[in-house]
Amino acid sequence: MMITKKALPRRTLLRGIGGALALPLLDAMVPSMTALAATPANPVRRLGFVYIPMGSHITEWTPPCEGALTALSPALQSLAPVAEHVTVLTNMELKNAYPGTHATSNATFLSAATAKWTESSDYYLGTTVDQVAAKQLGRDTRLPSLELAMDLLTTVGQCDNGYACVYQNNLSWSSPTTPLPAEAHPRVVFERLFGDGGTPVERAAELRKSASLLDAMGESIARLQRKLGPGDRTKVGDYLDTVREVERRIQKAEQRTADSPLPDLERPVGVPAAYEDHAKLMFDLQVLAMQADVTRVMTFQLARETSNRSYPEINVSEPHHPLTHNGGDPEKLAKVGKINAFHVSLFAYFLEKMKATPDGDGSLLDHSLYLYGSGMGNPDIHDHVNLPILVAGGAAGRHKGGRHIRYADPAPLANLHLTLLDRAGVRVDRFADSQGPIQELL
Amino acid sequence: MTIRIWVIGIVFTIGTPAAPGPLQQYCHGCHNSKLKTAGLALDADPSEDQWEKVAHKLRTRSMPPAGLPRPDEHTYDNLAGSVEDRLDRAAAAHPNPGRTDTFRRLNRSEYQNAIRDLLAIDVDVAALLPADESSHGFDNITVGDLSPMLLERYVGAARKISRLALGTPVRSPGGETMTLPPDLTQEEHFEELPLGTRGGAIMQYTFPADAKYDFQIRLARDRNEQVEGLHATHQVELLLDGERVHLFTVKPPPGGDHSEVDRHLTIRIPVTAGPHAVAVTFPKLGAPLLETEREPWYAHFNMDRHPRITPALYSITVNGPYEQKGPGNTPSRRRVLVCTPSGPGDDDACAKRIFAVLTRRAYRRPVTGADLELPMKFYREAKRDDGFEAGIEMGLRSVLVNPEFLFRVENEPAGVAPGTAYRVTGLELASRLSFFLWSSIPDDELLNAAIAGKLHDLTVLDAQVRRMLADPRSKALVTNFAEQWLYLRNLDSAKPDMRLFTDFDDNLRRAFRTETEMFIESLMRADRSILDLFRANYTFVNERLARHYGIPNVFGSRFRRVTFDGDAERGGLLRQGSILTVTSYATRTSPVIRGKWVLANILGMPPPPPPPNVPALKEKVGSAKPMSMRERLAQHRANPACAGCHAPMDPIGFAFENYDAVGRWRTMEDGLPIDASGGLPDGSKFEGVAGLQKALLKRPDLFATTFTEKLLTYGLGRGVESYDAPAVRAIVREAAANDYRFSSFVVGIVNSVPFEMRRSQ
Repeated sequence: MMITKKALPRRTLLRGIGGALALPLLDAMVPSMTALAATPANPVRRLGFVYIPMGSHITEWTPPCEGALTALSPALQSLAPVAEHVTVLTNMELKNAYPGTHATSNATFLSAATAKWTESSDYYLGTTVDQVAAKQLGRDTRLPSLELAMDLLTTVGQCDNGYACVYQNNLSWSSPTTPLPAEAHPRVVFERLFGDGGTPVERAAELRKSASLLDAMGESIARLQRKLGPGDRTKVGDYLDTVREVERRIQKAEQRTADSPLPDLERPVGVPAAYEDHAKLMFDLQVLAMQADVTRVMTFQLARETSNRSYPEINVSEPHHPLTHNGGDPEKLAKVGKINAFHVSLFAYFLEKMKATPDGDGSLLDHSLYLYGSGMGNPDIHDHVNLPILVAGGAAGRHKGGRHIRYADPAPLANLHLTLLDRAGVRVDRFADSQGPIQELL
Repeated sequence: MTIRIWVIGIVFTIGTPAAPGPLQQYCHGCHNSKLKTAGLALDADPSEDQWEKVAHKLRTRSMPPAGLPRPDEHTYDNLAGSVEDRLDRAAAAHPNPGRTDTFRRLNRSEYQNAIRDLLAIDVDVAALLPADESSHGFDNITVGDLSPMLLERYVGAARKISRLALGTPVRSPGGETMTLPPDLTQEEHFEELPLGTRGGAIMQYTFPADAKYDFQIRLARDRNEQVEGLHATHQVELLLDGERVHLFTVKPPPGGDHSEVDRHLTIRIPVTAGPHAVAVTFPKLGAPLLETEREPWYAHFNMDRHPRITPALYSITVNGPYEQKGPGNTPSRRRVLVCTPSGPGDDDACAKRIFAVLTRRAYRRPVTGADLELPMKFYREAKRDDGFEAGIEMGLRSVLVNPEFLFRVENEPAGVAPGTAYRVTGLELASRLSFFLWSSIPDDELLNAAIAGKLHDLTVLDAQVRRMLADPRSKALVTNFAEQWLYLRNLDSAKPDMRLFTDFDDNLRRAFRTETEMFIESLMRADRSILDLFRANYTFVNERLARHYGIPNVFGSRFRRVTFDGDAERGGLLRQGSILTVTSYATRTSPVIRGKWVLANILGMPPPPPPPNVPALKEKVGSAKPMSMRERLAQHRANPACAGCHAPMDPIGFAFENYDAVGRWRTMEDGLPIDASGGLPDGSKFEGVAGLQKALLKRPDLFATTFTEKLLTYGLGRGVESYDAPAVRAIVREAAANDYRFSSFVVGIVNSVPFEMRRSQ
């Protein structure tokens, strides 16, 4: 497989073991699966979250006019083809992310909670909005949620300001003490979604074996539990919950194998060398996951906080993090703006792809709702106000886009989380420091 | 036989030592119950924890603050000594060993090594399991979690590994592709490939069966889809275990369409099951053409600036198996199948023997009949459908997902009162040892010693430690401990700016890593003093690295030791490209990061986190004359909010300024001469890295303490706390008496209270 900077045909990206996987094969299989899950009477609502690190060059980001989104700012230009599905929200804040750090920007983004300051394994945050949604939206799918990222390598040494690295690495937390690791390797993501392949009969046999192994594992853990002191018993109780959750997933997979046999899919091989190709492939996999209805809740970290990635493809050869500590240097600010615009263009690619993919009586985009943004405002001073935030998708008629909402006083980002949950049909009264839903979003 | 007797007791705080005179003279002015500066009142019964901080401040000379009267060196040492003495005596009477977590999952490297030692298979663990989180600088601390995703991956890994171990017939052929980094230059010879070749790659691949396999080779292309460097006819060689399998020829296509140029680089050949080295390389042309076209630099991978001169390998794919003949005779089958059933009469007895051996090693303890029930149940079910070996494979799978394999469990003995310090069992100690020194499970010898109850015998324990250190598996101390301690793992993500550092490529990145690995391993194998990290007048280079460093007369790809005379530009750890690069930005050096690296990893004085709302460092905006990094940082330190931390950090970093962001020696920057004068927090001033090293060596105890704390953190798998300080001091004292030899730290840790004991909950 050869990855170049040229636009890559999908055929190349999803090249399998024995040759190229033709896209029509996927298209052929999808209608039969979506027909089951998303008939017009039952529009699937999906929630997604995309994270960008280190805030934005906010003047390049903020649209010039309020109300109707008639003119797009430089950073958001590439959203033009889907602007009617986009709402930009200006002047939202994350009070619980202070004291200002990179670790808390990432951790607080979806939790709106205060991260316990520790470097050890006694970390404590809050359940993130995607996981609150997954508890309800994920009941009917094989994977309650899917966590994706772009950084294959983990950094060692200190992470940020005495915060354990879990805060900086994990966007998604299923409980205050359970970060959900994200996957950056396309092939591994593919295997999580679709398994190792093989014929339906072989896959069903494999699933039965896994189920009985897990059953035995649960028994072994329970036996261990009886030998332990009370403090350790809780921990083991968590392990048992995990075993049961995986058992549930296997049952779902067995059902699906019986209901709608997948053709023998082939897997993408390596990780594309170019960032842009890799990111687009990760977005493609999200589209596939939605089409096959493997999951309805997704989080995707487009880059990690304090990322030192440079973007030669858009002529930014300096690393991102030092560029954001620019003391107002216009040249560096312009480069931050370019990075912001580049990240948005990748998201726009995804939105257009969702728009072009039929789903029930509309498109995938019509039945989804995505939040895109950062937990940091001005990265030069590490603050958490005036965050770059936008919402995209139709939410099955429950989100009206094409608008720019600006708050005179900073509004808690948790208000938006509460609203997204409401739009996805998940009822909660409060989320972290929320004050109430954002009525204007409909 | 020598046996130590531990005093077991409940931990409680020590009383206030009668405040010695100098403490009153130099410290009470601020730290009294009226002012309580930094929350410390020395006249109001400070806690043990606070006394440890006092001792640390005195040892590192970071109190009293600059500008206030300070004791002389002698008084400093006496004062610190008297405080420590009390703390040590209290700790000896009532040891507090701390509490490692009850459940600790094997991390990725440990899992990989455990599979190697259990089944004789090398697996690519990065493709099987997610990366581990790092805390306290290491990835074996935060290992108590088990997310559904991780569990799914364990189940999947067990399936893949057990199939590979037995060589179960594969229903549909699979494959693996190795892709080379795009910035790997392939114009010269690589050390691990045959002489007379250039470029290419070698990969270890475990072939699942005696069968035929497809090998597919792709060449690197530029962004216009042209095969790079293809200006003449070239040959491509495929090797298996060093023997030529096939020689292909590639030619520039007549029409200029490169899409089919490497299409024919594929061949199907029979290969025996088991591990083989698959290599692809290019016979080196003796043509003078290369010489005349040689660019002034080494890096050749970028079509615009320094294009490839000859074609390069992009990927090797192995597909198969096809036409399977059988599982073959592989190391893993020999390891697992310790018996062969002669017929249906004795197959169950043989299976039992197989699982008895496997579970004992996998669970790191003696096993009973009850332990065999589960694997035997899976064995019988699968045997019924698919025969004996399928049964063994399924039983093995159940062992690989057993919590006693995946987790290290340390459970306190029944009936121990809460908060009691107790000795861990011999078996727990054996696992602590093997995971510390090998990042893997104990071998039979260690396990047998533990089962026989001999590990509590000091002589036996010492002999085991020395045996294990001498074993090649102790390389894990380099690849896991040292690489994380020194941040070498960040080298892979170091991407120096291509315009400024034109000659940086993956070859250099690899050479940096090899240099430091060899340097540290040689120190460890020869059991030298750890002070040699700063005293060494030698390092390890190959031609590529020597050219980068400006060292003459080193030729070829092989790394060798080179020695320098006097105050040289190279030698020792602090002048190695790896360290200098991971502490730099892509475009420039960072005295701040370098200073912080030394403070945190060498001196044990990590600066506190920056306060919220840090004012930004003013860049070169609107100033008439260009400012050097030193001047700009000086401006920064003028702000009192920044000075507290940057005053100790920056001057250390300045001492490295003769080395640029990729570790090259320089005397000028932006037309200005380099000023490499620096200083330490204790007030010493010096020039360059040589001066810094001398200053560090004046206080070997500081480095030895930091080294001990790092190694102890890694060895215990938990953060080192203030109550561990007495143990750390004891280890450092022992090591000092042994010229700070590497092994004296390891032995010291193994014999320490936190390593041999644990506190009940």
